[in-house]
Amino acid sequence: MKIIVAIKQVPVRDSSLHIDSSGHWIDEDDLSYEINEPDAYALEEALQLKEKHGGEVVALLAGPERGSQTIREALAKGADRAIHIECDDLASLDTLGIASRLAAAIKDEKPDLILTGLQSDDLGLGQTGVVLAELLGIPHATIIMQVEAGEGSIKVKRELEDGWFQHVEMPLPALLTIQSGISKLRYATLMGIKKAKTKEVRRISAGDLPPAAAATVTLERVYLPEKKKETQLIEGSPKEAAAKLVEKLKFEVRVI
Amino acid sequence: MNPATPAHVLVMTLHYAEPPSFSMVEMVLLAICIALSAVAFFRRFSRVLRNIFTARKDPGFHLAPIGKRVWDFFWELLCQAKVIRERPLPGLAHAFVFWGFLAFALVSLNHFAAGFRLGVLDADNWVGVFYFWFAAVFALLVAVSIAGLFVRRFFVRPIWLGRKVSYESGVIAFLIFALMVTYLAAFFVPSTSTMARGLWWAHALCILAFLPLIPHTKHLHLVLSPITIFLSRGEFSHIPPLNGDEDFGLVTGKDVTQLVALQAYSCVECGRCTEHCPAANTGKILNPKEIILGVRNYLNDLGPHSEEPLLGKYNSQEAAFQCTTCGACEFQCPVGIEHLPVIIGLRRGAVNTGAWEDDHGTKLFLALERNGNALGMSATERDKFIKKQELPIFDGSQEYCLWLGCMGAYDPQGREIIASFAKVMDYLGTSYGVLKKEKCTGDPVRRLGNDLVFQQLAEQNLEIMKQQKVTKIVTICPHCVRTIAKDWKDYGASPEVEHHSEFMARYQDKLPKTDGPEIVYHDPCYLGRYRGSYDQPREVLARSGKVIDPPRARERSFCCGAGGGLAFLGEETGERVSHVRAKELAATGASVVAAACPFCNTMFRDALAATSDAPPQLLDIAQITAQTIAAQPVATASATPSNGAQNA
Repeated sequence: MKIIVAIKQVPVRDSSLHIDSSGHWIDEDDLSYEINEPDAYALEEALQLKEKHGGEVVALLAGPERGSQTIREALAKGADRAIHIECDDLASLDTLGIASRLAAAIKDEKPDLILTGLQSDDLGLGQTGVVLAELLGIPHATIIMQVEAGEGSIKVKRELEDGWFQHVEMPLPALLTIQSGISKLRYATLMGIKKAKTKEVRRISAGDLPPAAAATVTLERVYLPEKKKETQLIEGSPKEAAAKLVEKLKFEVRVI
Repeated sequence: MNPATPAHVLVMTLHYAEPPSFSMVEMVLLAICIALSAVAFFRRFSRVLRNIFTARKDPGFHLAPIGKRVWDFFWELLCQAKVIRERPLPGLAHAFVFWGFLAFALVSLNHFAAGFRLGVLDADNWVGVFYFWFAAVFALLVAVSIAGLFVRRFFVRPIWLGRKVSYESGVIAFLIFALMVTYLAAFFVPSTSTMARGLWWAHALCILAFLPLIPHTKHLHLVLSPITIFLSRGEFSHIPPLNGDEDFGLVTGKDVTQLVALQAYSCVECGRCTEHCPAANTGKILNPKEIILGVRNYLNDLGPHSEEPLLGKYNSQEAAFQCTTCGACEFQCPVGIEHLPVIIGLRRGAVNTGAWEDDHGTKLFLALERNGNALGMSATERDKFIKKQELPIFDGSQEYCLWLGCMGAYDPQGREIIASFAKVMDYLGTSYGVLKKEKCTGDPVRRLGNDLVFQQLAEQNLEIMKQQKVTKIVTICPHCVRTIAKDWKDYGASPEVEHHSEFMARYQDKLPKTDGPEIVYHDPCYLGRYRGSYDQPREVLARSGKVIDPPRARERSFCCGAGGGLAFLGEETGERVSHVRAKELAATGASVVAAACPFCNTMFRDALAATSDAPPQLLDIAQITAQTIAAQPVATASATPSNGAQNA
């Protein structure tokens, strides 16, 4: 089974973020980066499927040079080779733009399965995987908790709202977006890192790929959550005030 | 040696009697016996030598400094200091047997030489008389000692010697005893008598029977342990650097180094390591002696070129990961075995190749990879603490960098220790600052054998040190001290570092003195055995109260159970190490338990509460000192160093 895992490099969780001077993105100086958490689970799922059924795991990453660190970690954990689409303009692309680059980079790969994380920790759009599947013309399923591979098809368990799950059987090739926390991640080992040195990383310059369609969605402004404190004095008799308070708690604040 | 008058005979019989001459037949017989014994010895011994010499070379081993080696050889081997100190009575008995062997070296050589008419010691001249009598004194001591050791092994039977009685040891003890008796008896017979000849032959045959028993029993230590002691790794718990891209620690026989093989064959199976091991004493499967013997059995069965994993049939992975790296085993070992490089080497092999699967361990590794601290907290929590505590930020102008460590930065109790120590430093007028960014020193991953994460943390921290121009570090955590001082060295030059107990001890005269309560002090492994700082914390505590020792103190201190990364692993099997120690500390009746390590502190907090209804108060030495400072009468307090408030 040949599995491609699309991974993204995002700022380390708990980084202290600052908005850059343009107001369109965060200041990237002094930030450390790591693999997007749901992608780490997608990679883990791919590695476990490979351990069970054999085959190959290919890591796919679009991003600047610093992304090679995350690629190396993926190779160290057990991916067999990697494809790095080198580009510095991720923030200016929309999901269609990124998905079309990913699709173009793997058009000759003919994988049985493509896994991505459910969404990214930085933008949280949750679309890249779905759009990629559409571009490749293969079926997809999202928020996957469990994968069981069979002959030419897979059975997956999707997470729905409110504790409901959906079990789906689908043909291969297919694309799945993987939910965070569905298994136990493995730790990178020294042996893995040493082996990773000899593994193939195919670098593709974004310029060599067909130009991405003009972004249909643009980032207007990036800003840190603004804390607001608002005090309202409810006037009237205690009975009236209480009634107003209950109404506000019910319909404005929606806590009762 | 003339035939003599009766009076002369009496005098002669108090001389050592050796047959005056040997026939050709006797000489041929003797030559055959010697040849048989030597062949039997070398056939077995050459296999041992081959397993040692063809093993992998030790990376990073160097003979210098030779002075320490010579001293260790003199003190530990020739003086038998360690053997005696740790088990006085059997130790002294062993020392007499050892010194007896040394004294007998010349006698034994002469014995065989005489058999070929080449003897040099003559019982008639004064040199010979002196030496034979000199040896006789030792013969007596050896005979008594070996008989005592025989009684201990076969009748007293301390469990440390193993459940299975070693019958070879009985045979060896008998041979040694017989050697001494045959020697002493020769003082009471005329040299021309058949008896003298019989004794001579009996003595010779005992030696020749003894030789072939050496290489395949624990008595191999007679030959190897002097070399083992001389060729130590040079420092306590030295973790050797990995060598090249194929070295992941002790994975298979191919990774066993010459020193590991030498040490494995030197083991005398005395069980001192087991006796002092916190794991072995609390119902875990780890037994440090068995780890070493496991390596020996592996080498005997498969040799140092096998690709069979070392963990499996011969040693258990579970056992290797039960070690708290307290180092009691290595400290106790009388034949120079260094257990920690072996145990940590086995862990390195398992972790660096991914063979160790443990949920808690994986969680710790991922936390250190992602968050850079062992508690898996966000670095912003550290920032908040620094801000709340108003700790000055290190900017290169201060003398000391106060290293918080994971416990000091994130653990509530550890933070209290930092706050107290900051007060002490303010009181003493020391200038200090804390780093804006700091990662775990990597101690838990170093001891658990994760070289990848350790290297990352060491390099990141060394980079911070360089950027901030840190030259002197003081910290509340002995694990940080050890890791910064020794382990970072593999990746660059690290700053000078000292433990807060050592810092405060240097300024003890400036600290207030009160007659406080009885304080029982627990020696942390990483401050005591690892660093040799036993007196400094006691001196600091003596300013605040009466310091008492628990039954196991100083070099023999019993671990709290947290070391070696175990604080972050799951529930222990058997009894909890921390409970055993907490009970021991509480039983001293002291009203205060003083710790000098935030890990000990956190272990005892739970353990004291769990094992005692009215537990003694648990405090770090910095907290005790800060309390004493705060409790000073105002008049004295105003006499504090004038620049004391500058850092506040």
